[in-house]
Amino acid sequence: MLRFEKRDKTPVQLRLMVPVASVLLGMLVGSIVMLFAHVNPLRVYGAIVSGAFGSAYRFSETLVIAVPLILISVGLTLAYRMKFLNIGAKGQYIIGAIFGSYLALFGPATMSRPLLLTLMMVLGTLGGALWAVIPALLKVYWNVNEVIATLLLNYIASYILWYFMYGTWRDPGSHGFPLSKNFALNAQLPRILPPPSRLHIGLYFALVAAVIVWIIIRKTRFGYEARVIGENERAARYAGINVVKTVIIAAAISGGLAGLAGIAHTSAVLRILQLEINSDYGYTAIIAAWLAGLDPLVAVVVSVLLAALEAGGYQIQIVMRVPFGIVGVIESSILFCLLAGEIFTHYRITLARRIAA
Amino acid sequence: MNPTFGSILIKVLAGAIQSGTILLLPTLGEVLTERSGVLNLGLEGLMLIGAFFGFLGAMKTGNPYIGLLIGMAAAAGAAAIHAFISVTLRGNQTVTGLALAIFGMGLTSFYGDRWVSQRLTVAIKPMAIPGLSRIPVLGPILFSQDLIVYMGYVLVAVFWFLLFKTKIGVNLRAVGENAKAADAMGINVVGTRYFWTILGGALAGAGGAYITCGIHPYWLNGITSGRGWIAVALVVFAMWNPVNAFLGSFLFGSIEALQLQLQAGGTYINSALLSMLPYLTTFVVIIVATLIVRVRHVGTPKELGVPYAREDR
Repeated sequence: MLRFEKRDKTPVQLRLMVPVASVLLGMLVGSIVMLFAHVNPLRVYGAIVSGAFGSAYRFSETLVIAVPLILISVGLTLAYRMKFLNIGAKGQYIIGAIFGSYLALFGPATMSRPLLLTLMMVLGTLGGALWAVIPALLKVYWNVNEVIATLLLNYIASYILWYFMYGTWRDPGSHGFPLSKNFALNAQLPRILPPPSRLHIGLYFALVAAVIVWIIIRKTRFGYEARVIGENERAARYAGINVVKTVIIAAAISGGLAGLAGIAHTSAVLRILQLEINSDYGYTAIIAAWLAGLDPLVAVVVSVLLAALEAGGYQIQIVMRVPFGIVGVIESSILFCLLAGEIFTHYRITLARRIAA
Repeated sequence: MNPTFGSILIKVLAGAIQSGTILLLPTLGEVLTERSGVLNLGLEGLMLIGAFFGFLGAMKTGNPYIGLLIGMAAAAGAAAIHAFISVTLRGNQTVTGLALAIFGMGLTSFYGDRWVSQRLTVAIKPMAIPGLSRIPVLGPILFSQDLIVYMGYVLVAVFWFLLFKTKIGVNLRAVGENAKAADAMGINVVGTRYFWTILGGALAGAGGAYITCGIHPYWLNGITSGRGWIAVALVVFAMWNPVNAFLGSFLFGSIEALQLQLQAGGTYINSALLSMLPYLTTFVVIIVATLIVRVRHVGTPKELGVPYAREDR
């Protein structure tokens, strides 16, 4: 019979081993799924690696995906630490893109580039924050389940984007396609490498955000209070922590970073508003945050790895005609293994003989 | 009353029953799963697994009913993963459920890629119930449907009876309310949670397979289009009661049927806003339902999402 004993402290090697083993096992599950479809997993993984890291250009494209993943997952680590289970990064990303794009499409044409871009980023951040604060308010005041609320807000945000793209924001010259007009140069976030690379200064935003959130969590009173709330909300209340305020600020930061990711990606990479703005990064980032053990600096590394998987996934779809769905299978299997593995970090498991009655 | 208006209304309501059944099956399953204390947010993934493997089964066997059973079995298998991680390994149920949703979406779009837009030659067909189907108004709405719809009616009654009038139901609720006490009473907590999580998965699969083997007999990636999430929300609306699940599902089925009718009729209402309607309504309903639950203190199983560990006693 198995015995479970609660651990007081988790050994460092276990904390490292579980995520690494999860990634390997997740890839193994992905391989089995591929074998059933008569696809050679070794060739696929080879193509993913070369698709993601094969050249300087490919690696820069991986980083293009990593930027929104870092921004979103870093924010999520803060929200998840206080058990605000924000699944709505997709919607916050979309609303951020819509808010920021409004200025790009309808703002004064004469505004200087730095001012316009700053305002776009601020507006996008505010939009994302707003979309996260709604479910946060509903949770803290009325106890509405934030998982369901944020999920539904994802769909609502998608249809809001749809509404604008088939409505007044559609470019009359787009032959009926749901595309806005191209962003003017003033509204394009600068890229940092020579073309064809699309890597942009959003990378710096992402790295700065990761460091700031790390400092918030580790070095500030707010971060301490956030951790107490996550561990025991009732104790936090008795200790005089303003739970309502703390949860709402954390939600706003997490939503704001998702919104910033949305407008930065739209303005720098797509340079146009359209129905498909890669908002599913909002779901991938959840996996990144969890895989990183809710540590914002680790989330940077994990985001780059997941971005590689995604970038490689696009490549295998184009080159080998292997459906992109396999990326979802691998990512979710990694997450399954990680959650399953947490029992080893939380408990010491020993084989024990049943005591004779 | 204008006869054409009457016949349109009957058509819309009959469609509402069909759309409602897609939601009813996963909602019923999740009501029972959550009653046992397990939160399974992965319904969207389970519905997709049911929809795809149901479609594939129907394609290979030529029998949509066998297809439906295959879809249910596949989804039950996927739900067993959730049970294993959340019950045996005490993992975070919210995140596991989310992983299950992503898994279902990825798996079905990977395997389903080469089946996109292919059609079944034989789908589940309506079977009017002799006698009952001739009742004016109610007959064509309720009793000129297919076998799956009737199965939904029966399950509502069976599950309500089971949950509130039998020993099995008492035990099931005890496990979700206070696992420690249930364990002390000699109820098998782990077994109960496994059973109802897997059964809930099978029902979610049935809901998905009902789409591809019955209403829309073809395959498209993401064909469930978010209904799994709506079903999760409907469980709160239903306050964990099968009869309310029935009412909620058909209310939402009506919204969907109305939306389709309006779109087909070429109204001036924007189609993006119409498509948003079910999600927006669910959002409002979930807030209202939560407030009602708070005031009346009914419903929510006390240990929903709380893993049970005997050693922690």
